[in-house]
Amino acid sequence: MSGIAALLLADARLPAGGHTQSAGLEPALLGGLEPTDIPGFLRTRLATSARVDAATAVVTRAGAPVEQVLDAWAARTPSEVVRAAAVEAGRGYLRLARTLGMPTSLLPRDTPRPIALGSLARDLGLAAAEVARVAIYDDLQTACAAALKLAPMDPATPVGWLLACADPIDEAVADVAKLTEPQQIPATTAPLMELWQHAHSTATRRLFRA
Amino acid sequence: MPETRALRLGIAGPVGTGKSSLIALLCRELGGTIELGVVTNDIYTDEDARMLRAAGVLDPDRIRAVETGACPHTAIRDDITANAIAIEDLESDYPATELVLIESGGDNLTATFSPALVDAQIFVLDVAGGGDVVRKGGPGIARADLLVVNKTDLAPHVGVDADRMRREGEQAREGRPVIALSRNDADSIAALTSWVRHLLARHRHGEHVATDPGPMAPHFHADGTVHAH
Repeated sequence: MSGIAALLLADARLPAGGHTQSAGLEPALLGGLEPTDIPGFLRTRLATSARVDAATAVVTRAGAPVEQVLDAWAARTPSEVVRAAAVEAGRGYLRLARTLGMPTSLLPRDTPRPIALGSLARDLGLAAAEVARVAIYDDLQTACAAALKLAPMDPATPVGWLLACADPIDEAVADVAKLTEPQQIPATTAPLMELWQHAHSTATRRLFRA
Repeated sequence: MPETRALRLGIAGPVGTGKSSLIALLCRELGGTIELGVVTNDIYTDEDARMLRAAGVLDPDRIRAVETGACPHTAIRDDITANAIAIEDLESDYPATELVLIESGGDNLTATFSPALVDAQIFVLDVAGGGDVVRKGGPGIARADLLVVNKTDLAPHVGVDADRMRREGEQAREGRPVIALSRNDADSIAALTSWVRHLLARHRHGEHVATDPGPMAPHFHADGTVHAH
């Protein structure tokens, strides 16, 4: 089951509303990030928010109480705007789970993406490392796909960016895959990225929800 | 699907043909007797939702905006998740809702709603877009539940024969309804609201079946790219 399930969860064609998200890239570009700095943006996410989310998904999958995971994640995601965007992304997973009759559909409506993803991974029998890899890959690939809409370039270029992150992604996966308790979730945040995302809810010209 | 669920009516059509104004008109005309909700899909920003909220035709909280990540077709056609959630939230927050109007992000002639998202759809053209647009056809023009030829009051100013455009619409649609609409023409407004009320009654009685106007053909964008989303 998990072989195909991990691929499904990592697939942009999974109908969970992923096309409405830019993983913080549009806010960053609106905030002044230069397109040439997008590879650095990806590495920053990998070192910070993507790692927090991956660890959150792993701990959820391990069966930690959802309320405690939620508190731990929220404490590491200080902007209510960023949290709200994660809840919207999580709703897509919950709706998918509901249609398919999976236990994840029983989670509260305001469950954020990493917890919904971790729960779905549990339903689908993914291993800890698999859900960590999916969480990180989806985050970075979402930014790469959005980059092609926001700052068009040869579409192979972002593929190269992602491949350049392959080793650090593997290291991050190994780091977070062994976690089981909410308090073990790393508290690595990126204040400037949060600030950009925090401003996005009032941006008047935007393509992406977050 | 229970028949007591609100009727979901999609409004599609190219940019600038008057989709938002049509929704404002429906809110104004029907809001007194039917519990309404609105979901807008802007390609760029939540301008349409703001416009509708500012128009004061409906409680602002009953107007929800969905950003589509530059994928207006995807959001109404294949991955309808964001729109479905917005509608479900509206219905959950206002359980008495009877009619939800969903405005597509205006794009071009080929975008139509999935029947998994809406029960019926109106395709909107306007005379200012040119009298030949109807003849170009497409799934929405040919097979939406209703075709509206909008802004007929402008026809003399843009050199278009509105009657002919309506007739050609009827021919292209093989008998499906066409309404030539002007906000200055009370009869045309009455025809529109009557059509919506009739549809709502059929929905309530379980007599209306959602139909798909058909798949999109590959299409061109202004930047020269070709794709079928």
